[in-house]
Amino acid sequence: MRGEALYLPLSPYASLLTDANMPLITLSNVYKTYRHGSLEVTALTDFSLEIAEGEFIVLAGPSGSGKTTVLNLVGGLDRPSAGAVTVGALEIASASAAVLADYRLRRVGFIFQSYNLIPVLTAAENAEFTLMLQGVPRPERRRRVTELFIELGIEGLEERRPGDLSGGQQQRVAIARALAAAPGVVLADEPTANLDSHTAEELLDLMRDLNRRRGVTFLFSSHDDRVIGRARRVVRLEDGRMVGDSTTNR
Amino acid sequence: MNAFLYAWRSLWRNRRRTLITLTAIALSIMLVQAFHNLAVGAYARMIDDGVRAGSGHLAVYRHGYLESREENLGFSPANLAAQIRAIPGVTKVLPRVYLPALAQSSHDSRGILLIGVEPEAELTVNPFLKGLSADAMLRDIDGRDAVIGKRLLDDLKLAVGRKLVVTAQHRDGTLHSELLRVRGVVSTGMPDIDGSLLMVGRQRAALLTGMQDDIHELAIILNDSDEEAFVAAAITPLLHDRPELAAVSWEKAMPNLANAIKLDYASQKFIFVIILLIVTIGVVNTLLMSVMERLREFGVVLALGSSPGRLRRLVLIEALLLGMVAAVAGCVLGALATWYLVDIGIDLKRFIPETLEFGGVVFDPVLRAAWDLAWMAKIALYVVGLTLLAALYPAIKAGRITPVEAMRHH
Repeated sequence: MRGEALYLPLSPYASLLTDANMPLITLSNVYKTYRHGSLEVTALTDFSLEIAEGEFIVLAGPSGSGKTTVLNLVGGLDRPSAGAVTVGALEIASASAAVLADYRLRRVGFIFQSYNLIPVLTAAENAEFTLMLQGVPRPERRRRVTELFIELGIEGLEERRPGDLSGGQQQRVAIARALAAAPGVVLADEPTANLDSHTAEELLDLMRDLNRRRGVTFLFSSHDDRVIGRARRVVRLEDGRMVGDSTTNR
Repeated sequence: MNAFLYAWRSLWRNRRRTLITLTAIALSIMLVQAFHNLAVGAYARMIDDGVRAGSGHLAVYRHGYLESREENLGFSPANLAAQIRAIPGVTKVLPRVYLPALAQSSHDSRGILLIGVEPEAELTVNPFLKGLSADAMLRDIDGRDAVIGKRLLDDLKLAVGRKLVVTAQHRDGTLHSELLRVRGVVSTGMPDIDGSLLMVGRQRAALLTGMQDDIHELAIILNDSDEEAFVAAAITPLLHDRPELAAVSWEKAMPNLANAIKLDYASQKFIFVIILLIVTIGVVNTLLMSVMERLREFGVVLALGSSPGRLRRLVLIEALLLGMVAAVAGCVLGALATWYLVDIGIDLKRFIPETLEFGGVVFDPVLRAAWDLAWMAKIALYVVGLTLLAALYPAIKAGRITPVEAMRHH
């Protein structure tokens, strides 16, 4: 069951992701600089990291330490200025925009700090969104989303618009959206930052459970101790550099 | 949920802005359709009056007559008139003789245009003769009755029942005169015609020049101007053994009227283009604002795996839906406006004289529209196309968004 979703033959490069001895995600000597007008800002400096399939890993660090940059690079939303980022056999730096879009569509699920649900769509339609982009027929989309809503404890909210949902419910819908297309990797950027502590803990337990049961690799960014405390592996960043990488037996 | 549903709901995020844009597009369609239909109605009326008093929807002439108006370029209608009359769609066939002549009374003389007609056929068709009572109309085609323009009557200091002499050049080169008696007076509203028109029986006019039964024009009046091409095609074989003759349309026979209509409609088209251009700019503004307000959402959609092409399509679908709804609303409003203009019309009597001339025809101050459904549909489709065109820039803009930058946008 572990990693099954990642190997679904959904894209032309699917067969290249099957070497079980390789880390799923590799960042090697990555540099990332941004230009704001004449100012050049370094977000990552000589950053290297390997993530195995099925890990539940947190990137911890203060604001501006480079956590979101790592997520953006792994998610194919951005390219490194130098160094290499590979996910399976996909080399992010050299992939075309179309390949990266397809990679995001079929391989990665995103969870954002502010949920980022589409306000004009219902909760179920939001969750179905990536399946709709993939061209999955409506009955099949609805079936998968209904199952996920039950699993995430938000059944009955399918026809509500995001504006009619609480923060915790919205984030559960966002998790359903991230998982609907059965991706191998879920990237979550500060997913509990806008939630009260009780809801945050509930959601973290839920994602930990999904990680165990589905074998989905979870990569979080957070400076929230509740998140950090639940991770098996914590990678600490400061000023774009890795300052710690610890694993516990949780 | 599909792209159309997403686009439709997105369209109504800012309900007020979308409604304002829809109203602007719909009103512009209504204006353009109603004014086009009004112009079509007014032109149809002018053409109808013009062809009845003038050359007919179609006319048969001898080659060269239209250009030179030489009175010796006549032809014998023989059985041609009867053959044409038998073509479906033909209402009347009117043989006419036109002669430049001199009219003299005991007081004065004037250069005139003598028109020889068949009174019975003309009476029901010719708008110049519309107001004439039976005792003011020409009685036969070879009698000495004359119907005279009001201004010419005054210039010659004549009255109904009084005599005048008309002199024209005979084919043999000599001058011939005929004595006529005023039986009716017409007032067309056009000073040139009222000052030079003298209508007599066709054979009486022919006597002056020795044309016998020859005529200059065989004017053909149709039930419906749309049948012009069909009737013209039916006439062509009838003229095979008369190669000296040609059938021409009213546009060629009455170029003044045709050109006046063309010029007037060209200026209307220019206004239509400006109206649609303004609307297009409004649509660009609406869609661009809609795109700029949703940068963050578009960034998320791209992050979730949508291609830039899909985003472009989404904006284009929104424009398509906007255009289609506006087109339907505009057509309903345009139909209601046209309905009113067909039924009631616009009375311009307060603003223009009742005898205003337009392209050689008296302009009816009460404008009434005519339905042009095909054109109404065409303009609605144009507007949908323009809306799509207006969406190109916002769509390209949406396609250029990069997800990381867009998601930083608040």
